[in-house]
Amino acid sequence: MLSGDRLIAARAEEMGRGQAERLLPMLEEMLVEAGVGWSDLDALGVGTGPGNFTGLRIAVAAARGLALSLGIPAIGVSGFDVIHAATLEPHVAVIPGPRGRLYARRPGEAADLVDTAEAEVQGLPLAGLPEPAALAEAVARLASARRGEDAPPPAPLYIRPPDAAPAREAPPVILDDA
Amino acid sequence: MGETLTILGLESSCDDTAAAVVRQGAAGTEILSSVVLGQSDLHAAFGGVVPEIAARAHAEKLDIAVRRALETAGVTLARIDAIAVTAGPGLIGGVLAGVMLAKGIAAGAGLPLIGVNHLAAHALTPRLTHALPYPYLMLLVSGGHCQLLTVRGPEAFTRLGGTIDDAPGEAFDKVARLLGLPQPGGPAVEREAAAGCATRFALPRPLLDRPGCDLSFSGLKTAVLRQRDMLIAEQGGLTRQDRADLCAAFQAAVAEVLAEKTRRALAASAAPALAVAGGVAANAAIRAALERVAEDAGAAHVAPPLRLCTDNAAIVAYAGAELFRAGRHDGMDLAARPRWPLDSAQPALIGGGRKGAKA
Repeated sequence: MLSGDRLIAARAEEMGRGQAERLLPMLEEMLVEAGVGWSDLDALGVGTGPGNFTGLRIAVAAARGLALSLGIPAIGVSGFDVIHAATLEPHVAVIPGPRGRLYARRPGEAADLVDTAEAEVQGLPLAGLPEPAALAEAVARLASARRGEDAPPPAPLYIRPPDAAPAREAPPVILDDA
Repeated sequence: MGETLTILGLESSCDDTAAAVVRQGAAGTEILSSVVLGQSDLHAAFGGVVPEIAARAHAEKLDIAVRRALETAGVTLARIDAIAVTAGPGLIGGVLAGVMLAKGIAAGAGLPLIGVNHLAAHALTPRLTHALPYPYLMLLVSGGHCQLLTVRGPEAFTRLGGTIDDAPGEAFDKVARLLGLPQPGGPAVEREAAAGCATRFALPRPLLDRPGCDLSFSGLKTAVLRQRDMLIAEQGGLTRQDRADLCAAFQAAVAEVLAEKTRRALAASAAPALAVAGGVAANAAIRAALERVAEDAGAAHVAPPLRLCTDNAAIVAYAGAELFRAGRHDGMDLAARPRWPLDSAQPALIGGGRKGAKA
C-alpha cells in the first residue's frame, strides 16, 4: 500500500493453497492497520504474472471486482515489467514456469516459455523477480506511475494458449450427401 | 415476507458467464436484468467444454456482464442489498473467478456476500417463476447433473435418486458427436428425432429393471455407438434416415427412463407438485413425458421457461434472496467448491473417495 511515494504497508504470506480464502481478509487487515478504508483508495495495482493460472485469476478477479465497486482503476502490472524496471543493464527477465521451465522476455520483445538453456543462449544475464512483499510493492509503484494511462482492464498473462486438443473423432459418412 | 430485496447474482460455474439483478418482495419476484454471455464459440472446436478456456473467459468477462446487468436494471450498487454468487459445484476455475469478483464487489461496496449452491439455484427456480410453495419434487436434468430431490426449503433437500454415471445432457452431446451433429447436442438430436422412427432400433432402458430412483445413461450412449458402427460396417456410412431414427430411439429411451424414475420419486416423496429444471428440460418429448407423469399422479406440473432452465444468474440471485431472508451470509473467506452435494446425508452417487461426493 502506497500513499504517494511512501510505502504504508507490504505483506506476504507463504501458502501452498487457500489464497482465494485469504486474499480479501488480508487486504482488510492491512487497511485496518493503516487506519484507512476501501473508499480511501485511488487506484489498485495487480500482478498479472506470468505464473500459476489459478493464482493470477484469483488476484485479477478480485481487483476487477474492487475496481467496479469503488469506481477506481485496476491496473495490471506484469512480472516482466517489474524486472525490467529494476534492472538497468541488458538482461533477459525470467519467471519460473511449469515443469522447471522459464517464462522469459527481453525488454521490448515478446515473452515465451523456454528451457533454462534457451534463456541463457543469448549470453545476457538472467534477472528474476524480487521476493513477494517487494514484488507487491513494485507492482503498486508501477501501477501508480501508470495512473491516467488508457489501458485495458487487467488480465492474466498466460503466454501460452490453453492446453486443449481439438475433437479427435471423425464424424460418420452420411451416404445421402456422398 | 418483509421488505423488498434487490440482489445482484453472479454465475460462472460452467460455460456461461452471467450476471442478473432480481427484486423480490411481498408482490413477488421481478427479474430486472439477466445477462448471459455464452462461450459456445470458444469451445466448438474441442467437442466439449474445456475447463481452462472457460476459466480464462470468465475471469475477463464476468465484470463486464455485471456492469451490463446493473445498467440494464437501471440500478447502481447503492441500490443492491446483497451479492449472491455461485460458489460451487462446477468447474473450479470459473467458480473461483466468480467468487473472487463477488468478494471484490461486496468488499468495495460494503455489501453482504452470499455463496449459493448452483444446484440449489436450479432447484429453487419454480419458486422464482411460479412462487411454488414447499415441498415439491424437483427433477434437475442438465449437461452436468441429473437428480431427483424433494425440496423443503432453500437449504433443505432430500435426494431420492440420481445418475450413477453420465448426465443426460452429456449423453445428448455425445450422441450428437457420434452422429456428426453440431454441439450443443440436445437441440440437434431433438431436431433430427422429429423426422425419425423411435421403434426401428431397440435401445436399452438402463436401471429400469431395478427398484429405486437412480439412473444411468452411459450404457445407452454406448448402445447408440454400437448400433451406429453396425450400420457403418454394413453400408459404409449412415443415411439421413438412419441418423434420424437413432436420434428418435435415443430420445425416446431417455424420456422413458426419466419419466419412470420420476414417477417412482413422486410416489415416494408424496409431494403435491413436480417441477423440472436444467437444460435437458427444454426437450419437448421429455417435457411431455414428465407432464403425463405429474398428471397421472394428480400432481401439479411446473416447468420454468427455458432461459431460466439453462445456466443464468437470475436463479442465483433469487436463491440468494431466499438465503438472505433466512439469515445466511458468508465472510470474505468464502471458498469456491468444485464439489458440493445438496443432500450430504445421502451416500455419494458419483465421485466418492478422497474428494467426496461431486453433487
